[in-house]
Order: sequence, then C-alpha cells, then structure tokens
Amino acid sequence: MSETQVALVTGAGRGIGAACARALGAEGFQVAVHYRGSAAAAEEVAAKLPDAFAIGADLADSEAVEGLVAELKERCGRVDVLVNNAGVNKNALVASMKLEDYDAVAGLTRGTWYLTKLVLRRFMLRQKSGRIINLSSVVGHTGNPGQSAYTMAKAGLDAFTKSLSQELAGRPILVNSVAPGFIETDMTAELPEAAREAILARVPLGRMGTPEEVADAVRWLATGASYVQGSVLHVNGGLFGG
Amino acid sequence: MESAQIGERVAKILEPYVKDTDAFAKRSDTTKILDDLKVNSARLVDVILAFEDEFDIEIADEDVDDVETLGDCVRLIAARLS
Repeated sequence: MSETQVALVTGAGRGIGAACARALGAEGFQVAVHYRGSAAAAEEVAAKLPDAFAIGADLADSEAVEGLVAELKERCGRVDVLVNNAGVNKNALVASMKLEDYDAVAGLTRGTWYLTKLVLRRFMLRQKSGRIINLSSVVGHTGNPGQSAYTMAKAGLDAFTKSLSQELAGRPILVNSVAPGFIETDMTAELPEAAREAILARVPLGRMGTPEEVADAVRWLATGASYVQGSVLHVNGGLFGG
Repeated sequence: MESAQIGERVAKILEPYVKDTDAFAKRSDTTKILDDLKVNSARLVDVILAFEDEFDIEIADEDVDDVETLGDCVRLIAARLS
C-alpha cells in the first residue's frame, strides 16, 4: 500500500475481532482496535501491531459513536476498512426473555447501522473507496433455539449488507458479510460438553473453526475480492452452505 | 458571500448530475433539483458532500429534508456560512 490505510475493527479486544485486527495489521493497515468494556485486552492487541491504537465507545450510544468517528477523523483522517464485528448475545427462550435483553441486542444493531452511516458519510464516500465487512453468523440463516434476538440481529445484518451494496451501486465501495459457524471463542468455550458434541456432529469438518480462520476470510474481503459485492461468505466447516 | 456567488458554485456542483440540460439552462431559484433537473436521488448524497467540501461547512441530515429547489440550497449554505 502506497499510503497507510486505516481499518476500524469493532469489538476487537478478544476472539474473532482481535484476530481480524491482527490479520489486517499484518497486511499493513493502521488498525483502530475498538472496544466497549475490554480496554486492557484491546490495548494488548494494539500494542503488538504497528501504529495500531485502542479506541473505546459504547456503540449503543449514538453520541459515543459520533465521538468515535470524530476521533478517527482527528487521528487518522480516513477509514478504508470497517469491520463490524461487535455483537451482544443474550440467550433465552422467547417466552422467558426479558425485553431489556432484547433491547441490548437490538441496540447494538442500531449502533452498527449508525457507525456505518457515519463512516460512509465522513470517509468512504469522500475517498471514493472502502470495504465494509459485517460479521454475521450461521445462526442468522439456520435459526437457533434460545437465540431469537441474536439470530434476528445477525439475519438483519446480512440483509443490511445486501441493501447497502445495492445503494452503493456504481461506487467502488464493497460491502460483504462473513458468517462464521461455531468458532473457538470465549462464548463457545462455555458450552456444555454435550452441546459441544452435538454441534460437532453437524459439522462436516468435525471441528470448530478458529478466529484466525474467520479473520482470513475478512482479510480477503478487505484486500482482494474486488468483484465480490453484497455477498455472505460462510465460514463454518460445511455446517451450512447458504 | 453573496447569494449569487453561492448560486453559481451550487450550479457548478450540480451540473454533472443534471439529466435535463434544458431545465438547467433555464434554471431559477424555484427550479426543483429532482423533479426539474432530474438529478438521481441516489446521487444527492454526493451533492451534499460536495457542498460541504466546497464551502467548508457541515450539513445535517435534517436540513437536507427541507431542500427541494436551487434556492433552498443557496439559503441553506448561506445560513451555514453565517
């Protein structure tokens, strides 16, 4: 890259987001490692990448999103890649789920929409270039009991990818989703052994994926994939093909 | 900045997006950007960004809702400049 390009990865303190930050840092991007609560973890990720920095904001708070974008403008002056990875997962059956838990999931979706809008408006439309990569999930396509809010949010994120890619027709700004299957993260580490075995029985590759394997798909969409637009790239070991 | 000067710069920004060149040639303050000049609504965001860059101002989304004519553009920009 002739000029240092900037990548913002949300929810990048841990798991898939951290792996995406590392993958993009290795490609030469200056990475803004976003976090909400995991400041120390985000600082640690950023410390190992050239020119990277941790940046905190609660994406459910629109003023915090505006502050985040203003800080990026001040600090970097551009954003070339936006990886919308941050997510909230509240598991409960519909009949017993609290409305406030649903709101926590939906609020993050709202924040992701607003952040994308501002990144487009402040940076990518002016730069006439950009890559937006939304981290959705296989369960947004298959459904999953106990995850009604989460699956709604993730299915909505893929629909957002498709709508936005059509809105951007004629512009060199690419929008795609990566839909991971079951990945070795803090979230899946908490699964009971029986649930884990039941999941693996459905995965043709017979194992969970790694955050790095998801990040590899994100890296490709961020740096190559020049004719891929409005697509959902499934990374799930064969669990679901779309 | 005089309204006429703003109007000239607004017209220059809009020109590449205009589909009805006759209407553009006969333009006035009441000429409608979408209905008369046939500017593609999907390109309005580019026009707004160009206004912001040209005049070094920020235009809020709510303000865009009230813009229909060339005169509306000039008044909005003049208000931001002041």
